[in-house]
Amino acid sequence: MLDHILSILIFFPALAAVLGFAVNKNSIRSYGVAVATIEFVLALWLWFAFDSSVSGMQFMEHIPLVKAFGINYIVGVDGISLFIIILAAFFTMIGIASLGETKDIKNMIVTLLFLQMTMVGVFAALDAIVFYLFWELSLVPMLYIIGAWGGPLRIYASVKFFLYTFTGSLVMLVGMLFMAYFYYQATGEWSFAILDWYRLILPETFQKWLFVAFFFGFAIKVPMFPFHTWLPYAHGQAPTIGSVILAAILLKMGTYAFIRFSLPLFPDASVYFMYPIAVLAIIMIIYTAMVAYAQKDIKQVVAYSSVSHMGVIILGIFALNVEGITGSIFLMIAHGVVSGALFFLVGVIYDRRHTKYMSEFGGLASVMPRYATIFGIMLMASVGLPLTINFVGEFLSLLGFYKQSHTLTLLAGMAIIVGAIYMLSAYKKMFFGVVTKDENRNLPDVNKRELVALIPLTIITIWLGIYPKVLLEPINTSVEAVVGLMHEKSLTQEAKSRIPNLTKDAEVITNSAENTVENSTENSAEEAH
Amino acid sequence: MELFLYTALFSPLVGSLFAALFGASKKTKMAGIIPSALLGLSLISSFVLLVSVLSSGETVHVEMMTWMATGDLYIPFGFVVDQVSVTMMMVVTLVSTVVHVYAIGYMDHDKGFNRFFSYLSAFVFSMMVLVMSDNFAGLFIGWEGVGLCSWLLIGFWYHKESATWAANEAFIMNRIADLGMLIGIFLVYWNTGTLQYEQAFAIMPSLEIDVLTWMGIFLFIGAMGKSAQFPLHTWLADAMEGPTPVSALIHAATMVTAGVYLVVRANPLYDLIPSVGLFIASLGAFVALFAASMALVNRDMKRVIAYSTLSQLGYMFAAAGLGAYWVALFHLMAHAFFKALLFLGAGNVMHAMHDELDPFKMGGLNKVMKGTFVMMTIASVALAGIFPLAGFFSKDLILEVAFVENHYIIYSVLLFTAGLTAFYSFRLVALIFHGEERYKLFGIHPHEAYKFMLVAMSPLLLLAIIAGSFKMTYFEMVTKLLPATEYHVHSSLTYWIMTIGTQLFVAFAIVYAYKKYTSRDIKVPDGTSKLENCFCYKLLINQYYIPRFYEDYIVKSYRELSEIFWTKIDQKIVDATVDGIANIFYQTGERTRVMQSGNLSTMLKWMVAGTVTLLSLAVAFGLAARYSGEIKIFLSGLGV
Repeated sequence: MLDHILSILIFFPALAAVLGFAVNKNSIRSYGVAVATIEFVLALWLWFAFDSSVSGMQFMEHIPLVKAFGINYIVGVDGISLFIIILAAFFTMIGIASLGETKDIKNMIVTLLFLQMTMVGVFAALDAIVFYLFWELSLVPMLYIIGAWGGPLRIYASVKFFLYTFTGSLVMLVGMLFMAYFYYQATGEWSFAILDWYRLILPETFQKWLFVAFFFGFAIKVPMFPFHTWLPYAHGQAPTIGSVILAAILLKMGTYAFIRFSLPLFPDASVYFMYPIAVLAIIMIIYTAMVAYAQKDIKQVVAYSSVSHMGVIILGIFALNVEGITGSIFLMIAHGVVSGALFFLVGVIYDRRHTKYMSEFGGLASVMPRYATIFGIMLMASVGLPLTINFVGEFLSLLGFYKQSHTLTLLAGMAIIVGAIYMLSAYKKMFFGVVTKDENRNLPDVNKRELVALIPLTIITIWLGIYPKVLLEPINTSVEAVVGLMHEKSLTQEAKSRIPNLTKDAEVITNSAENTVENSTENSAEEAH
Repeated sequence: MELFLYTALFSPLVGSLFAALFGASKKTKMAGIIPSALLGLSLISSFVLLVSVLSSGETVHVEMMTWMATGDLYIPFGFVVDQVSVTMMMVVTLVSTVVHVYAIGYMDHDKGFNRFFSYLSAFVFSMMVLVMSDNFAGLFIGWEGVGLCSWLLIGFWYHKESATWAANEAFIMNRIADLGMLIGIFLVYWNTGTLQYEQAFAIMPSLEIDVLTWMGIFLFIGAMGKSAQFPLHTWLADAMEGPTPVSALIHAATMVTAGVYLVVRANPLYDLIPSVGLFIASLGAFVALFAASMALVNRDMKRVIAYSTLSQLGYMFAAAGLGAYWVALFHLMAHAFFKALLFLGAGNVMHAMHDELDPFKMGGLNKVMKGTFVMMTIASVALAGIFPLAGFFSKDLILEVAFVENHYIIYSVLLFTAGLTAFYSFRLVALIFHGEERYKLFGIHPHEAYKFMLVAMSPLLLLAIIAGSFKMTYFEMVTKLLPATEYHVHSSLTYWIMTIGTQLFVAFAIVYAYKKYTSRDIKVPDGTSKLENCFCYKLLINQYYIPRFYEDYIVKSYRELSEIFWTKIDQKIVDATVDGIANIFYQTGERTRVMQSGNLSTMLKWMVAGTVTLLSLAVAFGLAARYSGEIKIFLSGLGV
């Protein structure tokens, strides 16, 4: 079973979703929870069976689809994708378990399970075409979630979300086709397998063009400034569960793809575009944080804060060294947990008051103390306080990029200031002061169903903040392999110097060790004379 | 010894978690007593460690577990008890224990009693992490942890707008400085390859002076935030919104001295860059004077003491900047005792006066509050630096350092400030405890605090009196780690003139303040007197207009800029462009719909047009294929 665990992880939820149509409406909730829990347990088993000392792909499966064009169903995981897959399974589970009163709950659960298939598929796929299929398929359930359960502007928001990301993906698809064509020219064989592509060394100009093509697909997904405007609409209109999954998992597809495709395939182009992208990332960090500060709607604050944090992730990726990339992958998990939790928390108050305007609240700390406490912890995680999960990622990402540029890191470091400004002022508006609105006087505190989602997230936030090693170790092993590959493949002098050579140190050490051994033998020989 | 280390470190955390268990439930005395007892345990463990360090000179260094490890980066949770950190541990645990016990009485009637102790013990834990860590990252954990607890405690009465505002201000200002700190840490890592103090400081002498200078500057920016140095000082006075025990513990004795601790801890670095040290000393001297001047006229008892704290922090930085690290640390210790005492006394007065803070509305309280009166007077004498109390030994030493190191400007500024310190301290004492009983006008019936609160304060009283006698023991201990420069004025005549002169000057300031503020003519100022309308007074009472400047030019413009970014740029430009592009496609579709009208003659027309286009394209491509060679040459000439 372990040999096919990835395929099971991908297709089990889809199969369950199809069967879900036949399930009685009254028992669909428990059915959904059961399926998602099994999936999560399987994901944990994957982690348990995962060998964190291996840097390459594990649990690989290989089924040819279209032999003539080298399209295969290839899946596998390494330290980079493992934890995002687990996170996806985890969020689907607690998302379904804590689902509130929803109309057409059956359709919702079926959609979520289908969405889960696409999410796991994206992160496990090792063939560009399979990757692309899951990547695009993931749009459909989200389109449906926003369009069917969303707010008043849901049609506009969902169509915008779909068309915008779809357009970017098409450019990426063209890039993939060219990549495969170059592979064909170089080897005489077609292949869409990513691991095959890793072996291909492209001239610098080709790299740049392809980098740009892929960039469009990824940047819109992340979303990077100035391609971010679909996100506030999507979050603003989506139901709580939609926002949670979107922020926690779907956005990570973009940043993950940067590490999976852009860096190892185009190392020289990555170095070439490092500064422009870093500048975009800094605009994302500071500008969207300021926009978040201007918001009146708490959900928009969290939505824009997402964009701001994604800027730090992008920066960490383009640090192009082990510290930065490991940090950015860790931050993907961290941001998933924290922003997911924040969207859950916004959902809690929205369910009670049916408004998201902060001016409608005030003084909630005395009415809902438990809610205020959990929100407070997540707030502190979001501003990156040490010993919370976010700090580890942010610290490592910025630390990594500091190697590349001092000034830009100083600017990007503003994240810790502007982040505190919008989060603290939002918290103050909602929770501090005296209760002014009568509707707020008797609000019930968080209930058991909501705690099902919030307590595990709180525990993870603190646990991984104190002991990030469990994640960092496997991530680090795989990232070292990526960085090593990039250094080896890079052509220009600039890239060679920017991307650290990991093997060099080891060689020097062994050389010096040999020298000392020789010296000591000589010495002893002399002494013998 | 490891056991004592872990006990000292973790018992405050246990206390905090214990109190947090009762966070949402009704007030229970246990939530105050247990954390206090656990702190007592921490104090005893620290004392055992102090004795062991004193007697054997051996330090304890443990590595609990790995925190972060990736690439070449390796950061453990490591803790060290050496001469410097054990001093800090003693100060922190001692003042905390006193404040905890005191707060059981002080917060007696507060609804958030349990919550308060949870936060307060969490603060002590963070502070212990800060001083005990063996690396910069661990220091940063404590650094941010105390920031968080400070935010929670300043905004403890969260229904008050002013309190929550002050809490956010404190957090954000500290964050600005923390960025500097973070950059400093990055610099240390990329240049030395490690964040452990020992290894990093060992490598530093081999680095270029430029790098070291930047390192020193950025780390000091971090220190400026926590220790509220100009221009990041405004939060400290506003932080007085928190409950008074908090002001005593966090905003006087411990957290605000973290910046000084950082500079002392990084002494191997600052020794290599004397120019940065001189800047630190100058800024310290400036802040000493600057803060003291604002304390002269302020009419809020707690703010006066806060400015006094700020001013004393200036003294510490002056000493540390001039390389007299042990002197800075000594003043830090002495100051913690008498300033905490002063604040707790002020807390008693506040309780007696039903949270009235204006000393002009008090007067004559010495009759009803004997114990508090004695304690606050002695604390003020110690603060003023009168022989033989603690302040004399530590503050006079700083003046001597400045003198011996030939920085006469710094020396005169600090000397002048010593006079101001004495003046504003006794202005306060005189206004509160002497003169007419003005409070009767406001119908207040003051009463002395609980007995056990006064008893709890007594250790601080004792230390404020005798701390000076530890000087030599302390000197021998810390100079195993810190540069052991002794500062002696060469000629003994100069020394005696200086010392006695300073004492006379300070005594004169005290007498003057007493005379001025015990007179029977003191009225509650109503804004009509000549003094209140003079420019200097207005400048000082408005804190040099700096808070207003920040509000009008920085906060407001940030808010407006954010608004513009959102409504103008994000919605009108970025998003409008996206929608515009989508609209082009949409409109193209709409417009070209007429082509498919179903009208035969229109469709025939379009068919003809289509055919013509296709044919001409065919011709064009045909020609292009025939002359492809020429075109290629032509294009290559263009450089394509």
